[in-house]
Amino acid sequence: MSTVKIGEILIHIDNVSRNYLDKKILKNISCDIYINDFFCIIGRNGVGKSTLLKIICGLIKPCAGSVFINNKNINSFSKKELSRKIAFLPQYVDTSVSFIVSEFIMFGRCPYMNVFKIPSSYDYTTVNKIMDFLQINNLANRRIYELSDGEKQKILIAQVLVQGTDIIILDEPVSHLDIGNQNNILKILKNLNSEYNKTIVLTLHDLNAASEFCNKILLMENDGSVCQYGTPEKVINYKNIEKIYKTTVIVRTNPISNKPYVIPIK
Amino acid sequence: MIKRKLIFTYIVMPLLIFIIFIFSLLNGTIEISFLNILKMLFGNKKMLTEDIIVIIKQIRLPRTIMSCVTGAGLSISGCVFQAILKNPLADPFTLGISSGAAFGTTLAFVLGLDTMASFFMPLCAFIGMICSIFIIYLLNMKNKFNSNSMILSGVVVSYIFSAAVMFMFILSPTNSVQSAFIWLMGGNLSTFDERLLPFVIVVVIVGTIILSLLGNIINIISLNIEKSETLGINVAKNVKFLFIMASFVTAVTVSACGIIAFIGLIVPHIMRKIIGSNNVILIPASAFAGAIFLQLCDTLSRTLFSPILIPIGIVTSVIGGIFFICLLLKSEKY
Repeated sequence: MSTVKIGEILIHIDNVSRNYLDKKILKNISCDIYINDFFCIIGRNGVGKSTLLKIICGLIKPCAGSVFINNKNINSFSKKELSRKIAFLPQYVDTSVSFIVSEFIMFGRCPYMNVFKIPSSYDYTTVNKIMDFLQINNLANRRIYELSDGEKQKILIAQVLVQGTDIIILDEPVSHLDIGNQNNILKILKNLNSEYNKTIVLTLHDLNAASEFCNKILLMENDGSVCQYGTPEKVINYKNIEKIYKTTVIVRTNPISNKPYVIPIK
Repeated sequence: MIKRKLIFTYIVMPLLIFIIFIFSLLNGTIEISFLNILKMLFGNKKMLTEDIIVIIKQIRLPRTIMSCVTGAGLSISGCVFQAILKNPLADPFTLGISSGAAFGTTLAFVLGLDTMASFFMPLCAFIGMICSIFIIYLLNMKNKFNSNSMILSGVVVSYIFSAAVMFMFILSPTNSVQSAFIWLMGGNLSTFDERLLPFVIVVVIVGTIILSLLGNIINIISLNIEKSETLGINVAKNVKFLFIMASFVTAVTVSACGIIAFIGLIVPHIMRKIIGSNNVILIPASAFAGAIFLQLCDTLSRTLFSPILIPIGIVTSVIGGIFFICLLLKSEKY
């Protein structure tokens, strides 16, 4: 972690566009994600937030433009190199499998394993360390499908963390959780961000959570271009929110954290 | 936890196989005593009568070994298909591989090739299966071996081949239809060509070892495709290889002893309930369980309505079906 230089550009998204059939999903997106950012993408359903995340992970190729990581074009990385740089948590992961929790978390170590993907003792220590960190030791021998949604989400986060990457990308990690679990997960992510200098990029639907936890927000226009990006104070105001979400809201300032928060009104 | 599973898989199950192997040799139309079997296997053969030696050596032993190996082969390929297609209902036969075999053999029966030379039957079955595997492969090259499109193309291929089989049945004389029909239900386990046995054994054992070694990769592929890609796995490439590998094992076993339904579906399911989804252990465990299951079914098919041999496909379907229903009713979640 000693090489981390705060304030340096880590991910540079340069004029990225992506079509799906004839429909343009992403239109000329350009933005920079700095090292140690807690970067959130918000916007309406279907504007291409997930697509943008997948482009950053190298899962989808953009139709135009390119993504640079550490000033290197993402296409120049091999799959394995990329998997040691970026960990991704997709929006839907099938958790009805009957894997044991510790086995399941171990899959995250895959980028470091040999051809047959047999875990080394270091892999086992890493998994144990992460399970300690997330306090999920008691779940280690349970089967995944028996767990609650909150626990499952923690397991998925653990799987992402054992990958040991500097960049963590999460697609709506908290969208189906209650407010307690939601806060827990976001606090874990925040902790990773501030204590372990991880760069976190995620999408959220909860504007208040986004404003509270993230230091950069990218608000997407409904045609798939960038509406505005910057600090929560800059992006979250009633003009922007009403324009994008087409609903009336009041935006106030949270007296404790001094971050804006959004209240929808009838 | 893991240790217990390993003991179960590598010690308890092989022991069970051995016990059932002996049991299977004992039972049949003619009863043979346990002592005689032991003498036959390990001791002095001179003390046995000629017909007992013939029955054991030329009829029961190859047949039991074949059922063992076939059960193992079909189970591991079912296991792999379920994992790579992320579909619990996938098995070697949902992908239309068996219909290719059915097509090949029916064609051989209708053309009368079975009377010309014994090796024509397995050969035709094998060629039929290679055709269907090849068609599915071609259809999926564009879609990067996406699981849904693989299942769909498999179902389509299977229907087309089945239609062709039905068409040939209608056009052909009754006696060839009946022998083809028995083959289609796994009846060939009693009439298979013994020269094929070593080849099938080698393919199944090597296949089981390779697929078990690839167990961790299969695990990761069975996750969300985006997840496995970002873990650095080239999903399309691996699925392609695993598909061909599992199909080949199926093709070899099926062409030797006919289509035996259900086992590739049900055995991995049962084992998954017992030892979990981890394919590193699940694949060898399924292989052993498949060997046990098919031996039992074979013994039943020989003894239930003795001296009539019922095609083993009927026994596997009935027993497997009942067992599966019990399993579904007993557990709230499978």
